[in-house]
Amino acid sequence: MPGATDMSEYSPVILQGQQTNDDEILASTPLDAKALGGESSEIIMELLQRFKVRDVMKRQVISIPRSATMRDAQRILRDNRISGLPVCENGRLYGLVSVNDIIRGLDGGWMDEPCENHMAKNLVVLEAGMPLAFALRYFNNYTYGRFPVLDSDRKLVGIVSQRDVMRALLYELSVEIRKLEMKTSSKAAKVEQEAKGNFFRREWAVVHNDLSRAGHAANAIKGILRERKIDRAIVRRVAVAAYELEINICIHSHGGVIVLLISDNSVKITAKDRGPGIPDIEWACRDGTSTANDWIRSMGFGAGMGLSNSKRVSDKFEIQSEVGKFTIVQCTFELPKPDGAAEGGAQ
Amino acid sequence: MTAAEIAGKVGGTIAVGTGGEEASNVYVGDLLSDVMGHAGEGCVLVTIQNHLNTLAVCTLVGCEVVVLCHGRPVPPDMAEGAAREEVAIVVTPLSQYETALALSSLPPSPKK
Amino acid sequence: MTIADVTKILDGKLIAGDATSPRAVGAVVANDLMSDVLLHDEDDILLLTSLASDQAIRTAHIVGAMGVVIHNAKPLSETMIKVANDLAIPLVSSPLAKYDACVKLHEAFLAEERG
Repeated sequence: MPGATDMSEYSPVILQGQQTNDDEILASTPLDAKALGGESSEIIMELLQRFKVRDVMKRQVISIPRSATMRDAQRILRDNRISGLPVCENGRLYGLVSVNDIIRGLDGGWMDEPCENHMAKNLVVLEAGMPLAFALRYFNNYTYGRFPVLDSDRKLVGIVSQRDVMRALLYELSVEIRKLEMKTSSKAAKVEQEAKGNFFRREWAVVHNDLSRAGHAANAIKGILRERKIDRAIVRRVAVAAYELEINICIHSHGGVIVLLISDNSVKITAKDRGPGIPDIEWACRDGTSTANDWIRSMGFGAGMGLSNSKRVSDKFEIQSEVGKFTIVQCTFELPKPDGAAEGGAQ
Repeated sequence: MTAAEIAGKVGGTIAVGTGGEEASNVYVGDLLSDVMGHAGEGCVLVTIQNHLNTLAVCTLVGCEVVVLCHGRPVPPDMAEGAAREEVAIVVTPLSQYETALALSSLPPSPKK
Repeated sequence: MTIADVTKILDGKLIAGDATSPRAVGAVVANDLMSDVLLHDEDDILLLTSLASDQAIRTAHIVGAMGVVIHNAKPLSETMIKVANDLAIPLVSSPLAKYDACVKLHEAFLAEERG
C-alpha cells in the first residue's frame, strides 16, 4: 500500500482503529515466556523467521512534511501520544522528529522553524521483508524505541516498535502453544497426527524443599516407560536423569516442573524451574561440584553429581539458565525404531 | 594398620599425610551424621564425601585415615584441613563395597 | 542369594516387600549418596545404605534394585515402608554396620562359590 501515508498538506494522518490490546493478550497468554521448554523455544525461533517486519508493523503512520514547524511536530506528538514522527513526502522518508529534538528546540528557541532543519537525518530503518529476528537484533543493537519501515522501493510503508513485535509474538505464541497442547493432549488430535507420530506428555510439579515427595515423578516416569515396553536400559537412563533433575529442582530451586514427552523416536525429560538460576553452568555440570548445604547432604544428596549424572545418561543434554530467573534442562533419549526388532535383548 | 598399608590394600594413593597414621577398625559411611553417631575411635573412614566437613567429623570421632572412593579428587580446602589436623587421605578407584572387602583381607570374588 | 538369604546373613528383618522374591543379588552397592548409587548400571543391585529415607527406596526403584538394606537398626518411618511396598522394593533392617555387612555378604558369596 505505498502512498497511503503520503502527506501533501501537513495535517497528520491519524492512527485508525489500531487498538493496543497488549494487556489483554498478556493476560490470556497461558505461559511464562521465560519458562518455555525446548519445543517452545523452537517455536519461537521458527516464528522469528517466518514472520516479517511487515506482518507486525503499524501501517497507519502519522507523518509530517519537511515544511512543518517543530511546534507542529510537538503538537502532533503530544496529541497522538507518540515519541517519534517521520518526516515524509510522497512516500519518501526525509527524517524523524523525536521528543528529544523537541526538547532541544524548546531549549534553543527554534520551535517555529521548519522541522527539516532540526530533524534526525541519518536514520536506521528496517525493510518490510526482513524477518522478525532481524528486527529484534536492531532493537538490541540500537537504543531507538521504533524504526521506520521501508519497502523495496525505499518508500515509507510503516513504523515498528518493540511493543508491536512483542504483541505479535505473544499472540502467535499463544496460538502455537494451544496447537501444541491440542496435539499432545487430545486423543482425536493424536489420531490426526498418526502420520507424523504419536506423542505422550505428562507434567509433574516439584515443590521446593519437599524431599519426602521428591522422586515421585521419576518413579512414575519409570512406570510409564516400563508399561510402554521401552528397553530396560533406556528406561533406567531416563529414570536416572528424571530423578536427578527432580532432586535438583527440589533442593536448589524455588520450585518447578518435570515434563515427560514421549514420541515415536525419542523420550524427552524437561526440568524447568523458577530460579534462582545457575551463575556458572560449566562449573555446575562438573562432577563433584556442589552448593548443597549440610541439610541436603544429610539427606543423601548434594554430592554434586546431579547435572553430570543426567548429562552422562542422556543422548542429548541441553541446559539454559538465567540468574535470578530460571533454569531449563532438557535430556533427550533416542529410541530404537519401533518395529520390535530391538525388543529381544530385554529380559 | 597404617595409612600406607591401607593405601596398598585398596590400590590407592596417599593424597595427604605421611603414611604412618594408624587405624584399628573400619567404618563405611557417606552420611556424616551417621558416621558421627556410629564410627568407632581409631577407625579408617571409607567414604565418597570429598568435603571439608568430613574432616570435622574425623576429628570428632578420632579417625586418622580417610579413604575416598571412586577416585574422588581432594579439594584444596580439604587437603589443607587434613594436613593441619594430621589426618591421612587415601584416594582409591574402588567402590565402598570393594574397599570394605579389600580392607577385610578376604579374597576377591567375581561378584561385585 | 535372594532377599531371604540376605536377611538371614545380615541378622535382619524384612520390613517391606516380598520375602519369597526369587531375584538373586547381581551386585552389591554400599552407599549413602543416592547420586552415586545412580551411577551404577549393574542389574539386580542390593543397596546397602544408612540413609533411612524414602529417597533410598525411590533410588533403588530407579536403578531396578532387588532390595535395600538399612544399617545400624535405624528406625524406619511409616512412609518409607509404604513407599517400599508401593514400589515393590524389599526392605531389610539390619543391626550390622555397613562394613560388617559387606564382609559378611562377601563371605557368603565365597561360600556359595565353593559349593
